[in-house]
Amino acid sequence: MAALIRKGTYFGAAQRQWAATQQLVRNYWNKDWKPGPIPTTREGEEAAAKKFGLHPSEYKPYPDDGLGFGEYPQLPNVSGEAKDPYYPWDFPEHKRNFNEPLHLQADMYGEDRFDVSSNPPINKWRQLGTFLAVVLGAWAIFKGTNNIRMVPPVMPKQYPQSGVKHYTFESPE
Amino acid sequence: MGNIQPLHGSDITPSPLKDTIFDPEFGFPNGRKEREMIATVEEMNSAKLPMKDRDYCAHLLLKFRACRADVYPFVVKCAHEKHAYLTCEYEDYVLRMKEFERERRLLARKKRIEAKLHQEVGA
Repeated sequence: MAALIRKGTYFGAAQRQWAATQQLVRNYWNKDWKPGPIPTTREGEEAAAKKFGLHPSEYKPYPDDGLGFGEYPQLPNVSGEAKDPYYPWDFPEHKRNFNEPLHLQADMYGEDRFDVSSNPPINKWRQLGTFLAVVLGAWAIFKGTNNIRMVPPVMPKQYPQSGVKHYTFESPE
Repeated sequence: MGNIQPLHGSDITPSPLKDTIFDPEFGFPNGRKEREMIATVEEMNSAKLPMKDRDYCAHLLLKFRACRADVYPFVVKCAHEKHAYLTCEYEDYVLRMKEFERERRLLARKKRIEAKLHQEVGA
């Protein structure tokens, strides 16, 4: 009886927070997150664009190469660093607005990852060239001058050891 | 002035890293006096002498250190021992310079003889 009452209270809690329960049960299944098939008709495209909060002119699905991205939109590759830091983002730490669609590979384009939209003042070929010029130049100087090393004109220091005889320049008595 | 030499300056310049390739007694009809190691291994071990100091002047270094230990803190009293040790090291260096010059001249001689032989064979 007591067990039944306890069970009843559990049901009661679920009923009191019915909205949360419904949300958990209805929306947090893997199948609910799976994108639908690639739209073929114009109406289907518009519906998909609306689903992801995009204007129909911005909506473009990934080409069907069998990987199963479905109707998920192909968004431009813009890194976090390229986004305006002074814009009042809803989530400034991710530079993202509420309900803004995420890039399929959003984990790759965050501010802590590489900047695909970077435009450095010195381009990468010149950077590589400068690096190689300095390193190879230093190597060439080392290699070219290695044979003209200057040393004091003395033989190695003589240490007494068994089996080795060292001599002075005097004659024995 | 010969204070420094190119390591591979020419083929008659000896390497300062390698020992002589010639017979040490060559050119000494009466022979040469052998260098004498006075300090024993036991003495040097007992004094914990580092390996780099265990050369032919080690007995003088041991005397110098013993003197310092005896008269400390009036170490200026060991000026004589210090001078003796440093003179020994200086003479050791001079000997090495002489050995270098001997090696250089012997290499030049060897080259000369080989050139002459080559000429005779070619002619």
